[in-house]
Amino acid sequence: MARRVLDSPHLANAVTAIMAAMATPLVWLDALEGAGRTPGRWALAAWRVVHLGAMLLVLMLSPSSYQRNNRTALAQQIYLDTVPLLPGFTLLCAVISLVLTRILVTTAASYGLSQYALEMVIRVLVLELIPLTAALFVALRCTIPHGANLARMRRRGELDALRQQGIDPVGRELLPRVVAGVFSTITLAALTCVITMVLAYLAVFGFTWAGMGGYTHMFGQVFNPAVTLVFVLKTVFFSVVVALMPVASALNDPEGHATRLSAEMQGLVRVFAMLLVIELVSLVGNYY
Amino acid sequence: MPTPAPADATPERPVANLEFKVMLLLVFTALLIGASAVYLLYARGAFEATQRLVLVADDSEGVVVGMNVTFAGFPVGRVRSTELAEDGNVHILVDVPKNDAHWLRESSVFTLVRGIVGGTNIRAYSGVLTDPPLPDGAVRQVLRGDATAEIPRVIASAKELLDNLNTLSSSSGPLGGTLANLQATTAKLNGPHGAMGVLLGNDADAAKIAQALDRANGLLAKLDGVAVKVDALAAKADGMAGKADTQVFGPEGLLPEVKATVGQVNALLADTRNSLKKMDAVLAEAQAVGANARAATNDLGTLRAEVEANLRKVESLVNEINRKWPFARDTEIKLP
Repeated sequence: MARRVLDSPHLANAVTAIMAAMATPLVWLDALEGAGRTPGRWALAAWRVVHLGAMLLVLMLSPSSYQRNNRTALAQQIYLDTVPLLPGFTLLCAVISLVLTRILVTTAASYGLSQYALEMVIRVLVLELIPLTAALFVALRCTIPHGANLARMRRRGELDALRQQGIDPVGRELLPRVVAGVFSTITLAALTCVITMVLAYLAVFGFTWAGMGGYTHMFGQVFNPAVTLVFVLKTVFFSVVVALMPVASALNDPEGHATRLSAEMQGLVRVFAMLLVIELVSLVGNYY
Repeated sequence: MPTPAPADATPERPVANLEFKVMLLLVFTALLIGASAVYLLYARGAFEATQRLVLVADDSEGVVVGMNVTFAGFPVGRVRSTELAEDGNVHILVDVPKNDAHWLRESSVFTLVRGIVGGTNIRAYSGVLTDPPLPDGAVRQVLRGDATAEIPRVIASAKELLDNLNTLSSSSGPLGGTLANLQATTAKLNGPHGAMGVLLGNDADAAKIAQALDRANGLLAKLDGVAVKVDALAAKADGMAGKADTQVFGPEGLLPEVKATVGQVNALLADTRNSLKKMDAVLAEAQAVGANARAATNDLGTLRAEVEANLRKVESLVNEINRKWPFARDTEIKLP
């Protein structure tokens, strides 16, 4: 039974149906315009996003999504979404980390609290800033343009054309973009976290192994199980939001419906809003 | 704003060795995350053997899971959990790595200190490092020290100290009086009598001392005159001694006459010695007479003994006669 549910063509059909539903004009919604148009639209959009996300997640986890044709498209998307970003983002993060580490260490030393400086650096940079920065970077550079691209393709009927050619647009166009966005965010966050930790160590102790014991101990103290769980969950949710929201936003862009914002801007705003919510929840989890 | 992407669904140019590069990227990411996880586990102490230490406190305020137990500033343990025991005390369970456990001894003391800035600290103090090591699962009382709790006491003590200082330094206080006295003393030191006036207290006594000094000076001058006179007397005595020499030891002096007198006395003594020798002879004679008298006395003893013997014999003879011939005696034997 489970096998049948997880069967890729069924899911792909379901996702296609959702996409079709998203594309149809929201007739019943127009009736609500007088009363509470905006909350209703938001709730509907949110539900569609959650539904699409769940479907894509199941597709992501089912092995049949990774057939040869889809796999090539997926590999190309992953490569193009990650590798070009790595050098620039790493350099940017290294510079920002160095500057912030220096500021934090100097400030802490001037107040006579230098024993808390490194802990503060790790908490501020690794725990909070870098996952957020990585998610925003991937959103701006990859996923939001992908969303706009998908919206354009849908408007021009290219997705329908693909379906008519016998190519599944979900496996070929949707899934690679989402998976690539998730992977890119996690890779960038992991790499820059490691680099930031190394740089923070070097900025405080210099090129010596002498501080390694204390640094490791402090690291273990900061990353207790709860904080580690929140950190991992936050990063994963960031990546999912960044990868999914622009795509969902692109599919939820009703034609003929008067919107003040373009699909890109809508995706951007939604991504920002969701990142903010996740960040707030993680802060609550970490510090309350 | 991001730049608009081209309209084509797969617009990107093909990447050479795409599969290999993507596999490399996946492996890199997996390694990165795996290594981070292993480092985190290592930092959390997952790979080191630990022993348990239970610290008993009356209040767990400020104690959080994961905080350090330090020895001489170095972390030697980590709080694993805190629990409330049956008796209402707090049990702080600490994991001490085996590598660092040798710093904790049987006699170690543990303190829980809350600083004004920063978190609570649990510190271990091992005075005697040669004591036996702390066993696994040891239960120790932790001493609480609260820096903020000390503040009111410190402020109260400081206030008391300031009050005392105020009392001391007030114009009517002992310090003010002492300073006034010191000022008066300094004034006296600078006055006409100087240190003498300070020592004696009043001017009259100082004047007396000065007068005594003057008189002593006068006395010394007189003593000088006396010494001069004594010198003159000594010179005169020298002259008299010279004259005495001439009269005593001169040819017409006293000593030759004394010598002649002594010679005559010697001759007189020789005569006396001869007389004494004659006296010795007389005494020897008298001694001989004494010896004869002693011999005669001995003979008298013998004679007396003989007489006594004869008398006894006579007595026994008389007794014999009386027995044989009873004259006036009643020899009748009366029977009862």
